[in-house]
Amino acid sequence: MLALTRKVGESIVIGGNIVVTIVGIKGDSIRLGIEAAKEIKIYRGEIYDDIVAENKLAVSSLDLQELEKIKSISKDK
Amino acid sequence: MLVQSTRFGEVEVSEEGILEFPYGIPGFLEEKTFALLPYQADSPFSLLQSVNDPNLTFILIEPFSFFPDYQFEIDDEMVKELDLSEEQPPQIFNIVKKLGKIENMTVNLGAPIVVSWHKKIAMQYLIENTTYSIRHPLFPQEVGAQLKGGK
Repeated sequence: MLALTRKVGESIVIGGNIVVTIVGIKGDSIRLGIEAAKEIKIYRGEIYDDIVAENKLAVSSLDLQELEKIKSISKDK
Repeated sequence: MLVQSTRFGEVEVSEEGILEFPYGIPGFLEEKTFALLPYQADSPFSLLQSVNDPNLTFILIEPFSFFPDYQFEIDDEMVKELDLSEEQPPQIFNIVKKLGKIENMTVNLGAPIVVSWHKKIAMQYLIENTTYSIRHPLFPQEVGAQLKGGK
């Protein structure tokens, strides 16, 4: 992993079209400003990782036999 | 078109049921094309089957029959991308997961699937600053108990 030291107000440029700026530091919290094209989705790491893990679990835990059981559940429950 | 599914065999899907996920689905970013299939008539469940990967199947629910008060705001960027409006609202689904018993099924309310049928585009939307859980129990406890009772 590349590690760079930056001061408040300084930035890094990624791939020429993503700019990450250190907006402020308060205690152990750092506020980042991110400029990127709208196609670049930006998420907090732990939240994204959580969704990835949950999605993978949803797929891997699916088995056909168990699906038979949800057949009895209709829209009006 | 014919779609292969490990769990459901060969399924004939009409073009109308095919959706593009331009950003993929977190964890499966390579897969961009999915078929959305109703599980069976009258079922609240649907299947989201990758067109290219037979192993990649999600079970979805439409949330509002389970959670009538469920609501979230879609950001302007996404509204634009999906071309959503009062006249052309999105359809919302949520991924469900079953680990162990069926009464313990959970639903991902924190990251719904937002579908724009007229654009044929869908995305999994991570709601900002939400209190909705990504593993919320699908059934209230009493319903869970009924299911357990062999209903």
